[in-house]
Amino acid sequence: MARTSTAVGRRNPALTWALRLVVIGYLLMLVAWPSAYVVRHTFADGFTSLATAFADPDVVHALLLTAQVAVAAVVINTVFGVGVALLLVRTRFPGQRALSALVDLPLSVSPVVVGLALVLVYNPRTGWFGPWLAEHGVDIIFSRPGMVMATCFVALPLVIREVVPVLEELGEDQEQAARSLGAGTRQTFLRITLPSIKWAVVYGVVLSLARSIGEFGAVKVVAGNISGQSVVATVLVQQKYQNFEQDTAYAVAFVLALVAVLCLVVVALLRPSEGER
Amino acid sequence: MSIEVRGVSKRFGDFVALDDVNVSLPTGQLTALLGPSGGGKSTLLRIIAGLDSADSGTVTIEGTDATHLPPQRRNVGFVFQHYAVFKHMTVAKNVAFGLEIRKRPKAEIKKRVDELLDLVHLGQFAHRLPSQLSGGQRQRMALARALAVEPSVLLLDEPFGALDAKVRKELREWLRRLHDEVPVTTVFVTHDQEEALEVADEIVVVNQGRIEQVGTPDQLYDEPANDFVMGFLGETTTLEGRMVRPHEIELSPVRTAHELDGVVVRLLRVGFEVRLTVLVDRTGEEVQVVTTRAHARALGLDVGDVVHLSPASVLV
Repeated sequence: MARTSTAVGRRNPALTWALRLVVIGYLLMLVAWPSAYVVRHTFADGFTSLATAFADPDVVHALLLTAQVAVAAVVINTVFGVGVALLLVRTRFPGQRALSALVDLPLSVSPVVVGLALVLVYNPRTGWFGPWLAEHGVDIIFSRPGMVMATCFVALPLVIREVVPVLEELGEDQEQAARSLGAGTRQTFLRITLPSIKWAVVYGVVLSLARSIGEFGAVKVVAGNISGQSVVATVLVQQKYQNFEQDTAYAVAFVLALVAVLCLVVVALLRPSEGER
Repeated sequence: MSIEVRGVSKRFGDFVALDDVNVSLPTGQLTALLGPSGGGKSTLLRIIAGLDSADSGTVTIEGTDATHLPPQRRNVGFVFQHYAVFKHMTVAKNVAFGLEIRKRPKAEIKKRVDELLDLVHLGQFAHRLPSQLSGGQRQRMALARALAVEPSVLLLDEPFGALDAKVRKELREWLRRLHDEVPVTTVFVTHDQEEALEVADEIVVVNQGRIEQVGTPDQLYDEPANDFVMGFLGETTTLEGRMVRPHEIELSPVRTAHELDGVVVRLLRVGFEVRLTVLVDRTGEEVQVVTTRAHARALGLDVGDVVHLSPASVLV
């Protein structure tokens, strides 16, 4: 007689369903409902609030600024992240464990602290490097380099933590085989290593992008927050909300959430294609 | 001499992998580096390839001092135990890799890849991905890939170690035939003495970071330099404190001079041979004896029987 095979000591179905309800309810209250509320508020009057928001030059500027800062930070973090991942997996040097721990620091330190630390080091009047840089005409704090730095800092581990396990699993055999066949370091990286880790890099990039777009605390501290000049989208949402322009605040919040959801969709679409390989 | 290794030492922390190794590997031959796991044979091969660096000593390949050359400039082909296939490339692309790196003309690459794939009997798999091949096919592809660049030496690190017994046997016969067809200087590492005896022209026995003996399979088997080599190249047992091979002990039902009496305490039939454990009266030794099934039947051997032993030829 054909039977469905089950594990020994299977839980009773009522308990299983109760646990499922708890999980679903938890996610609903914490994530789904509040997100849905933002969407509902944005479209309460059809597309009017979105249209109003995009008619405001400050909003357009803030979104563009967020995009520019996020893209710059993601590019820097991708190059740096792949480099550090190679350093951590493929080489042995004293202080390696310390470096590995340091890479995770941005995950545990509050972004506001990051912002303050950057201000402390780079501010043009009393910072460590700030005055010297200001003399040479380079502004970090209250300008874009500072905002990019703050965003890089908070998104630092994401590419590295995606690439490191893939590199470890990959092993060195293929790279050594390429070397023995005459490939130099650069050729080995471009032809063997990079194609093997490309999905991990893409995944790390998407996560970094989502994180960079959503960054608030660190960027707020280092940016001057002057309307139309140095206000990123997240900070703009807060300012508009406090200035009783709630419709605009919800509209921009919706755009940010939409981009984040798109990032997640891209990731979800990428993951299975990696499994097929 | 194709490869000259002089005074090579290598340590990993406290572990001495190679201890002042000197060896010459002749041109055009198939040489086996044979020894137990952890004995240093793979390390020696990787140092020859440039994948590991020696702490001291020199490596000369075809007359060129290669000690400080990176692997890509030594012109060696290397085949790994776990194939090291380029997973994201087709079989043909894998084989073409070294030629593309050397920027050979496309037509030449295609011709050479086709030839090599035919040589390793993978012609019809050219456009498959390595994940669609069996272990034996992957290793043949890896071999074709290494041969593509016309290396001055071909180095194989336990090439059949990850394959099952039947495929392993097929592949080593195939490797021997391939070497006769394409006589490139080949060095392969193995811990399987049968594999080394069957395939190699010359065997280098490596143990505990040292070379124990270098010689042809016959020399090593018939004139082992020491107990280690004798023990490693085949089964041994002790008769009157001397090392002998179990099948070189003669059994007779009748007692003559210089023979030892013993009682059969265990008897095991394995295929065509019969393995006996004989307890020798005078010395109290348990001696292993191997004889043929026919001989054992002719003597009517069984557990508890008294037999007389004499060494057919005494070695060492």
